[in-house]
Amino acid sequence: MDEVIRVGIADYKLCKKPNTITTIGLGSCVGVVLYSLTGDYCGLLHVMLPDSKEISKNDNRAKFADTGIADMISALEEKGISRTSLLAKIAGGAVMFQFKGNPAAESVGTRNIKAVKQMLEQNNIKIVAEDTGANYGRTIIFDAETKILTVRAVGKGETKL
Amino acid sequence: MIGDNLTNTKMDVLKELGNIGAGNATTALSVLLNSKLEMELPIVNLLEFDEIADLVGGADTVVAAVLTRFTGDVNGMTLFIVDFDEAKKLISAMLNKSYSEGFEEFDHMDRSTLKEVGNILMSSYIGSISTLTGLEIRTNPPEICVDMTGAILSQPLTILGQIGDQALIIDSKLSDNNRLINGFILFVADDVSFDNIFSSLGIR
Repeated sequence: MDEVIRVGIADYKLCKKPNTITTIGLGSCVGVVLYSLTGDYCGLLHVMLPDSKEISKNDNRAKFADTGIADMISALEEKGISRTSLLAKIAGGAVMFQFKGNPAAESVGTRNIKAVKQMLEQNNIKIVAEDTGANYGRTIIFDAETKILTVRAVGKGETKL
Repeated sequence: MIGDNLTNTKMDVLKELGNIGAGNATTALSVLLNSKLEMELPIVNLLEFDEIADLVGGADTVVAAVLTRFTGDVNGMTLFIVDFDEAKKLISAMLNKSYSEGFEEFDHMDRSTLKEVGNILMSSYIGSISTLTGLEIRTNPPEICVDMTGAILSQPLTILGQIGDQALIIDSKLSDNNRLINGFILFVADDVSFDNIFSSLGIR
């Protein structure tokens, strides 16, 4: 039986084929999958906040887009996956509650997406697929073997990316 | 971090605050529903972020949540969380309508109804804590969201995540004889707010 690795909030884990890796209930958080077409390993990061430099208590590096992605890239490199072969699939960054006088553009979800994209671009990692924004939560499952990202949302069924 | 200095006395005080807050909220809702509601003794817990979702049935459970933010001497939010099927029962009873099995989007009226239930609960909850402590707490209009628990909790967590990796949560569970309602009230606030609460009550 293949293993399903579960990643919690503000954490990342690596996964080796033929296993799958999942994170449940992404709201404003963003799930970032890094993988290479030829490699056996992939990684999934559950980003909670955009920028570690904005916050003084930032020792949990996996919580932030900038430090979390950097660490996951290094961890994948240690497993022999070259940085230049990495591709990304991302999902999440929703605006769950619409508050009056609080524009969506300034919400954490929107800022998380922006920060993730910026960090990936800086590292020359191409985003192959994404399902981001809107106002609903997502559960994502990535298959390290087929490289398919399955996105589940309440009342919306499943999407394969 | 609040967790470094959380004595048993402080825990007991928070339990009592939750008890009074949720007690008043339950009474207000009993009047609205004309049904006798019961409340379990609140649980006060310092939890890792991942553990909070498990408290209310797991990260992938579909729930309806009414979120009320408050500011002033105490900054934070309350969440009134009801399992999706329970929310349907609650609205059915109030609006005299019926739903089919399974997931179905709530319409505008359904959402307003739930929001109002949340509003009544939360105003009484926060109001009683404000009266008890003498602290100024201003509540904002509530917002509602129907989705997976994990996704909903990301809202309070992004705020708490800026201060630490744990949350101090007062969790009250309420239910009624007619099984119309079965929900949780979570009270979430930052460290400074909890300090303000303690010092207002003369606890160091």
